[in-house]
Amino acid sequence: MLEHLGEELTLRFPIGGMEIAFNLVVMAVAVAVAGGLVLLSLWIRRGLNPDPDAPLSRRAALVAAAIDFFRDQLLGGVSPQLGERLLPLVATLFLYVLLCNWIGILPIPYIVSPTQDLNVALGLALLVYGSTHYYGVRTKGVRRHVAGYFEPFPFLMPLNIIGDFGRTLSHGFRLFGNILGGALLTAVTPVVVLRIADLIPVVGGALGWAARVPLVLGLNLVFGLFFGGIQALVFALLAAAYIQVTAD
Amino acid sequence: MELEAVVQAAKYLAAGICMGIGAIGAALGEGMIGAHALDAMARQPEMANTLLRTMVIADAIAETTGIYSLVVAIVLLFVV
Repeated sequence: MLEHLGEELTLRFPIGGMEIAFNLVVMAVAVAVAGGLVLLSLWIRRGLNPDPDAPLSRRAALVAAAIDFFRDQLLGGVSPQLGERLLPLVATLFLYVLLCNWIGILPIPYIVSPTQDLNVALGLALLVYGSTHYYGVRTKGVRRHVAGYFEPFPFLMPLNIIGDFGRTLSHGFRLFGNILGGALLTAVTPVVVLRIADLIPVVGGALGWAARVPLVLGLNLVFGLFFGGIQALVFALLAAAYIQVTAD
Repeated sequence: MELEAVVQAAKYLAAGICMGIGAIGAALGEGMIGAHALDAMARQPEMANTLLRTMVIADAIAETTGIYSLVVAIVLLFVV
């Protein structure tokens, strides 16, 4: 029942004594999610009326509600001027991570959440790390941004840089660990329950199979939808917080 | 053969200990955060939205060490 757990469709390239592995499924799903988001936004934009006096259509109301949610929940702790500039980046991160987390609950073999691959999670964290520098330089200028690393004392500069990297590492590992842990629990728990139920004489087997359906649905609900949503929110919130700390 | 069995057993034991002890700190921390956030929300219900957002961030940060031990346990089980 768990044969497919460690199995991956990978391409391997030997490069100078090392081997670089590409997980094709994760790459395909990650690109597909990004493409789906682009198509969704194009579809929503087509229904919008540029005339501000026109009656509010359903799509326009959806967009307004979503932007209100992003402003209040994701950027509530950021100063208004910076918040407006951060809105596209943070909202995109939130939607992308959310869809990546949720696509894993589809009961299709080999389709997994791209975020349960460390490369995707750490790549997104590195993107946030890069944008902290971008927004830091944009708001403060190069001199004051670099000078920020020598505060409060010049000799603490190495510690500031190490802290930056540790922050980025834990940002990526948090998403990766949560989603992978949830996916493993969702895969393993029904098997364990089935084995335990087999120990009960006569009715055990039937009982195990009967418990399987609500168990799988519940696990997917909690670890897939609920924790996936919370983790996407946390990822975007922390991205906004990190950028704000550097840009202030 | 004999040695391999011992290594297998040690692997499972190590993963269990790692996750079990590693979860204690994260669980205690998240419990404290939740308790204090509830305290503050009961005192000032109009602040509940801001408090909830801050609580989720603090939870995520307190959880980090637990996630580290989860990653180590997964590496022990599936990679080592």
